Amino acid sequence: MSAPPSDLRRAQWRGTLALAGRETRRVLIVWTQTILPPVLNAFLFLLVFGGALGGRIRQIEGLPYLTFILPGLVVMTVANQSFGNNATSIFQAKREGYIEDVLTSPLRPWQLAAGYLSGGLLRATLTAGIVVLVGSAFAGGVANPLLAVLALTLTGLVFASLGIVAGIWAETFDQFSLVANLIIAPLALVGGVFYAVGNLPQPWATITRLDPIYYLVDAARAGFTGFHESSVMASLMVATVVAAGLFALAVMLLDRGWRLKP
Amino acid sequence: MMGAMLPALRVTDLHKYYPDGVHALRGLALEVPAGSFFGLLGPNGAGKTTLIGVIVGLVRAAAGHVFVFGHDAVADAAAARMLVGLAPQEVHLDRFLTTREVLTYHARYFGLGRAEADERADELLDAFDLGGKARTRPDRLSGGMRRRLLIARALAHRPRLLILDEPTAGVDLELRHELWRFLRRLHQEQETTVLLTTHYLEEAEELCERVAFIRDGLIVAEGETRELVRSADGRRRLEDAYLEAMH
Repeated sequence: MSAPPSDLRRAQWRGTLALAGRETRRVLIVWTQTILPPVLNAFLFLLVFGGALGGRIRQIEGLPYLTFILPGLVVMTVANQSFGNNATSIFQAKREGYIEDVLTSPLRPWQLAAGYLSGGLLRATLTAGIVVLVGSAFAGGVANPLLAVLALTLTGLVFASLGIVAGIWAETFDQFSLVANLIIAPLALVGGVFYAVGNLPQPWATITRLDPIYYLVDAARAGFTGFHESSVMASLMVATVVAAGLFALAVMLLDRGWRLKP
Repeated sequence: MMGAMLPALRVTDLHKYYPDGVHALRGLALEVPAGSFFGLLGPNGAGKTTLIGVIVGLVRAAAGHVFVFGHDAVADAAAARMLVGLAPQEVHLDRFLTTREVLTYHARYFGLGRAEADERADELLDAFDLGGKARTRPDRLSGGMRRRLLIARALAHRPRLLILDEPTAGVDLELRHELWRFLRRLHQEQETTVLLTTHYLEEAEELCERVAFIRDGLIVAEGETRELVRSADGRRRLEDAYLEAMH
């Protein structure tokens, strides 16, 4: 006899939680690769830009430079870690073949995506949490914690979903690093982390405004400091739509088995 | 009871084309009775692994249907997959998990609760003589141990249909006989249907009640093992029936 639908649904939920647990475990096992480097990286940015250069720049839009750049650094950390975690996890599982274990399970494609998503979000939360805790000691408290959390959560969802898509797409390490190094890193650097767009000459101001990461940084900065240059509501809405779109794309690729199933 | 009468596996008119133009399955049809120990024999490239891939959802078929205990493996994939356990030909084990965790996580992917999965893992570690390696990562196990772990993993969620794709390939004689004993016991005591692919004809003859021969993506002969080897002098082997079917 087969399981009744309610038992099947319960099994699928348990399976989704197990996959989320497996992804969590992976993040924690290799913490010297998943947690330590991004935290050190963010602190170096804070030291160099906030400490060494901050004394010369003093204030931007009435905010101490360290206070101004901290939200952007946290957004960069969340984006890089949620993307990198999911792309690597799926790419490894695919390359080494053990992704078959979950592909042959009764989990639905959206449940697979949700399970993988959780690993990226956890890694982003841990690394960003440490950066915020230490950074806030020097840069001051958070003006609107709810808004800051919302902006960072949306950042995590956007890039964790993108990581799933990239992990499925990538067939070589080169393809995988292409997205991280040639798309995300440059976009993050010109995304208004280190400067206010209002102070930029043309065409740099327009280029920055075309960068989607700028709106995530601006929304996070509104949450951390109260200062923002664009409509926070519009930024959050666009980020929500992009996150939903990328998650839907990840689910569709898992459903079709693109590059996963011959 | 209606459910008991359903075959464990029913495959109809199954086609699979690979992007390189290979027509791996050419309208394959097969029925594996519930409770049987069924052998699927054929040369390399005959379509055995492709067929298994379609059954468990790792390969997309171009046409045809696969039913697992009456559940369509595509339209009702989740329900069908709950009933199947696969020990694949290639050994792919999650390197971030220990031997015991490979079993517990697999069981939990299929819906077992945490405590039940732990209990099941310990039971299987004992059954497959892997208890001493519970905390070892799979990449540090010997080839034979990894093969045993793969079969244990396939059984972790207590499937009704166990698919073993060349489970004794590269396994020494002693372990092969050990696995045979375990599989026979599993089949008899738990009434698990077993679909076995193998290159070792003596293995099929030893274990399988029914066998099917597959060639170029089609079943070319099928029957009860004892019928296929029946002869006047009693000296006919499965190998003879196999060679006849393949030529």
